[in-house]
Amino acid sequence: MTKPGSEVPRDLLIEAGAILASSLDPTTTMEQVARLTVPRLADLCVIDLRDEDGAIVDVAVVATEEGLARELEELRARYPLDPAGEHPVAQVIRGGEPVLLAEMTDALLRSFAQGSEHARFMIEHGYRSAVVAPMVARGRTLGALSTLRLGESERYGTQERDLVAELARRAALAIDNAQLYSDLQRLEQRLEAVLANLAEAITVVDSRGQMVFANQAAADLLGFLTPGELTRAHPGTVMTRFIVQDEHGRELDLESMPARRLFRGEQHEPLLVRNIVRATGEERWLIVRSSPIPDPENGRIGYAVNVFENITEVKRAQLGESFMAEASRALASSMDYGETLQRVARLAVPQIADWCAVDLLNERGTIERVAVHHPDPRKLELAARIDRAHRPTLDEPEGVPEVIRTGEARIFNDIQPEALAAYAHNSEHLELLSAIGATAVIIVPMIGATGALGAITLVSSESMRRLTAADLGVAERLGRRAGTAVENARLYTERIRIAHTLQRALLPESLPEVPGAEIEARYCAAGELNEVGGDFYDVFEHGEDSWMLVIGDVCGKGSRAAGVTALARHTLRTASMGGQSAAEMLETLHRALRRQPPGADLCTACLVKVTPASGRMRLTVTLAGHPPPVLIHARGDARQVGRPGTLLGVLDPIDVVEHETELRAGETLLLYTDGIPEAGHSGEALGERGLIELCRKAPQLTLAQLLEHIEHTALEHAEGSLRDDLALLGMRMCHSPLR
Amino acid sequence: MIVGEQLTIEVRQDDDRIVLTLHGELDLLGAPRLRGEIESHAVDAADIVVLDLDDVQFIDSAGLRVVLAAHERTVERGQRLALTPGSPQVQRLLSIAGVSGHLQTIASADAALV
Repeated sequence: MTKPGSEVPRDLLIEAGAILASSLDPTTTMEQVARLTVPRLADLCVIDLRDEDGAIVDVAVVATEEGLARELEELRARYPLDPAGEHPVAQVIRGGEPVLLAEMTDALLRSFAQGSEHARFMIEHGYRSAVVAPMVARGRTLGALSTLRLGESERYGTQERDLVAELARRAALAIDNAQLYSDLQRLEQRLEAVLANLAEAITVVDSRGQMVFANQAAADLLGFLTPGELTRAHPGTVMTRFIVQDEHGRELDLESMPARRLFRGEQHEPLLVRNIVRATGEERWLIVRSSPIPDPENGRIGYAVNVFENITEVKRAQLGESFMAEASRALASSMDYGETLQRVARLAVPQIADWCAVDLLNERGTIERVAVHHPDPRKLELAARIDRAHRPTLDEPEGVPEVIRTGEARIFNDIQPEALAAYAHNSEHLELLSAIGATAVIIVPMIGATGALGAITLVSSESMRRLTAADLGVAERLGRRAGTAVENARLYTERIRIAHTLQRALLPESLPEVPGAEIEARYCAAGELNEVGGDFYDVFEHGEDSWMLVIGDVCGKGSRAAGVTALARHTLRTASMGGQSAAEMLETLHRALRRQPPGADLCTACLVKVTPASGRMRLTVTLAGHPPPVLIHARGDARQVGRPGTLLGVLDPIDVVEHETELRAGETLLLYTDGIPEAGHSGEALGERGLIELCRKAPQLTLAQLLEHIEHTALEHAEGSLRDDLALLGMRMCHSPLR
Repeated sequence: MIVGEQLTIEVRQDDDRIVLTLHGELDLLGAPRLRGEIESHAVDAADIVVLDLDDVQFIDSAGLRVVLAAHERTVERGQRLALTPGSPQVQRLLSIAGVSGHLQTIASADAALV
């Protein structure tokens, strides 16, 4: 039945090669291989494979008679081959070498039969000659291929044995490949299942930028319905759907993405990306990481796996917090609110918006633009033009005026051209507003204790970012902080202004000239300038040919002390004009102070009447509770002059004494307030003795230098923080003869 | 403003005499504290009010103002006020202020008033 001939092997192997290459389903392949051998090489062909547990399973049984094949399959199902038994298939699988059984006797068949039924089957069907060849691939025996001849067919020889062995080897390779492939497929299916279920968006791109894989999260993130739609998109078209920036608002292109850098062989760190969906204005913050998949053949990077981690919520919360912290610092840093608000506007861009503008309601009830920021100077020019085209007034129904009036924040998204047209006040205004290209706007009031002081406007334009409720929250907090800061700054500015005005009223603008003498004064207020001090000094003509030097100190600080100080200074001047003596002037001031509302306004004063005489000055020193002045001789020794007198305004009656002395050429008289000796901690204060010591330097110093030196020393003792004001008034008699 | 040693005040009642012993600095910061004590019911109820200034390191015009206010108040209420001499700085200030003649000074807090 079987055709002999030398052409059979070659044809068989060629045909087998085609079959093995064509299909990758192992069962079908083995069936076809078995079919090849029947009837050309065999009356019966069986292919057995070893399964994972080591059991031997027939995968193909082909015979010249179909009935025989089915019968054998059924028999083998009932009596599986024992892998450790004597059956040639089991032996060959164990041994790995082909076996030629040229002539099988009934006794041989019985010796390896799996029971009597099996033996009877083989004998009845005339099993005569067989070749059993191992199927070996990569050193592993996968199974065995058996060809049999029945009845009177020609017996097998070594030629057939070698042919069957070769066929078995090729079949083994095909099986191995098929198994590898199906293993790979299973692996890939598992991987895909894992990737598809990951919350992180994952894409795989090849070196040309073409996406070869994406999971559903990636499709969702990048705005595609399915991963397939995303992977089919043309490379480069995906990115145009977004505005992609780095943390600092700088635009990023495809080439700066980690995967591209990876393929260029550059360092690739995870990249924090701000991503805005052009279509919706939605903002996301993503961390993009790329890892290489090397090509096993050449070691070059074949693919890059991109992982996109969406950290929008975390990032926005963090940005909001850090923005508020920075803004609060900026707001607290300076009392110059114009400058401060400009800094806040700069901070808001680009973290929250593309534009930030701050408007304040001034005392005149008009709305004033005090700060505006956009990173592009040309755009800032646009803002200035809008401001010129239309300055909103408080009675307008919408926008900043509405927010200032109501104190309620407003948020607008998806701004349409019609809405803009309705809002614009004239055609130029509309044109400029359109040029801004606002897509979303938040306006929040700047709230102070007395209500809205102004408004902060945040505009999203070229970033197209949608402004969210979270942004509104941050903006409202900013509005409250800024409102408080502006209010504080306004109060502070106002106090400084009042303080300056008052201080000017307390001190003479210039000192008159006293012939033959030089006069200098210094004044230093304790603490901030906004606290008006109680020290005062004055120099004015007294009678025909005398001058009066005045220095005094009103106890206390602030507006009441300022009022009393002004009263003291002007009362003394008035009394002087009335021709009163120093003691009478002090009495007048005392009575004036006693007429003040109760509260123990206490005032000390030192009056020195100076009358030029030939070659000297006659001095009359009168003290009312005030430290006595120091008279410094030409060589530098100094002494205090004057008799203590009662301070003014508290105790009745007062007792003051006019003390006469004189000032000679080169001598200096120094009037001061108690802030000088009392400067510094108790025990370390300068003291009156310290002051007298300082005066020893007088001969080497000009009068101005001397006063400066004393003031400087007192400030050093105070270590920069004074208990009290300092006032110094000095007069030095010239060496040159009197005119 | 230099924050000196904070003023503390001890109050001691002795029959018709109340003694306020001051420790620390009687300056702009300490003055309101003394004012509060002087306007208390305990002080109002006493016949003799003594300000013991011996442990006062420093007194300034604000402190002096409260001492003088205490003087005025006791005069108005028919009470008597006395001070102990205090440190040289205190004595110097009272002398410069020309108020020594108006205020009765006693050698120690328990000394008799003239």
